Amino acid sequence: MVRPAMSEEEHRPGPESDPSDDHQSFANAAWSIPSYVLSGMAVYGGIGWLLDHWLGTSALFPIGILVGLALALYLVYHRYGR
Amino acid sequence: MSAPHLLAAGGDEFEAPGLHIFDWGPLFSGGPSWLDWLTKPVLIVILAALALIVFAWRAFGNAQLVPRGVQNVGEVAYLFVRDQVARPMIGKDGDKWMGFLFTTFFFILFLNLSGVVPVLQLPATSHIAFPIVFAAFVYVTMLFLSIKHQGFIGYFKNMMFPPGLPKPLYVILAPIELLSNIILRPFTHSVRLFANMFAGHLLLAFFSTVAWWFLVEKLTPAGAGVGVVGFLMTIIMTGFEIFVQSLQAFIFTLLAASYIGGALHPEH
Repeated sequence: MVRPAMSEEEHRPGPESDPSDDHQSFANAAWSIPSYVLSGMAVYGGIGWLLDHWLGTSALFPIGILVGLALALYLVYHRYGR
Repeated sequence: MSAPHLLAAGGDEFEAPGLHIFDWGPLFSGGPSWLDWLTKPVLIVILAALALIVFAWRAFGNAQLVPRGVQNVGEVAYLFVRDQVARPMIGKDGDKWMGFLFTTFFFILFLNLSGVVPVLQLPATSHIAFPIVFAAFVYVTMLFLSIKHQGFIGYFKNMMFPPGLPKPLYVILAPIELLSNIILRPFTHSVRLFANMFAGHLLLAFFSTVAWWFLVEKLTPAGAGVGVVGFLMTIIMTGFEIFVQSLQAFIFTLLAASYIGGALHPEH
């Protein structure tokens, strides 16, 4: 019976946490995702496309897009997630 | 509520409104050529600017200690922008930016709401030129402030090399940051507003055209049901559009404040 009380306690924001800070980082993260994701896919999709073009392969373009997507999400997580 | 001009001329088949509903020639066709610049979107922008000037004048021009009438509305509006946008996104010095943010929010709000104002019925922001100009203003302000407060090198260093990453990752991640901040941010900033207004206007035009076509132009027992659905959807979508229009004006201002705040305080 202690657990629920404790988890409730954990969710209550402490007096030292500034709600405006939370608000800011959440809004920043939510609205910066599209440009980061587009950017990641453009950079690494672009590199993959160029390599495909030069090497005569066809798989590097989609791989680059996925890699860029993952890196962009990692970047958003690193900047705002913690 | 539906405008017959939405329908393509002639024809017995229902035709959904397409991109032509965004094409507006000179307001006075056949008028003097020096008036050719005056199209419907331009007229809406002028009206919105006048409405904002009159509103701000009435609200703040002769401010009393105990607010009455329009001043009440103006102060609520001011407090909303200050407490929801300026202070959370910029911080303590957010109040200095209230002139810019207040104007941005209400100008864009008026331009968006013109999409549901009878007779006007066109969100001026559904023409991408207007969001591009707003986003460009914010972008130039952001670049100027960033370089002024962080230095030219410092700005790129703070932007491309966020602290706390292992060194090899910087090589991989810096291009993403650069492209995202310098090129794609103003792009997504303007396109988000434009696309929402554009799609909303198309939807409203579509449902009202369905209602007009099946209930007025070609009323048949079989088609009447479709017309009624179109009529109801027009009403529902009008309410939804008012929500989206307000939300997009708010988000545009919120992002503008966020970019300005990021330029002033790069540590965030």
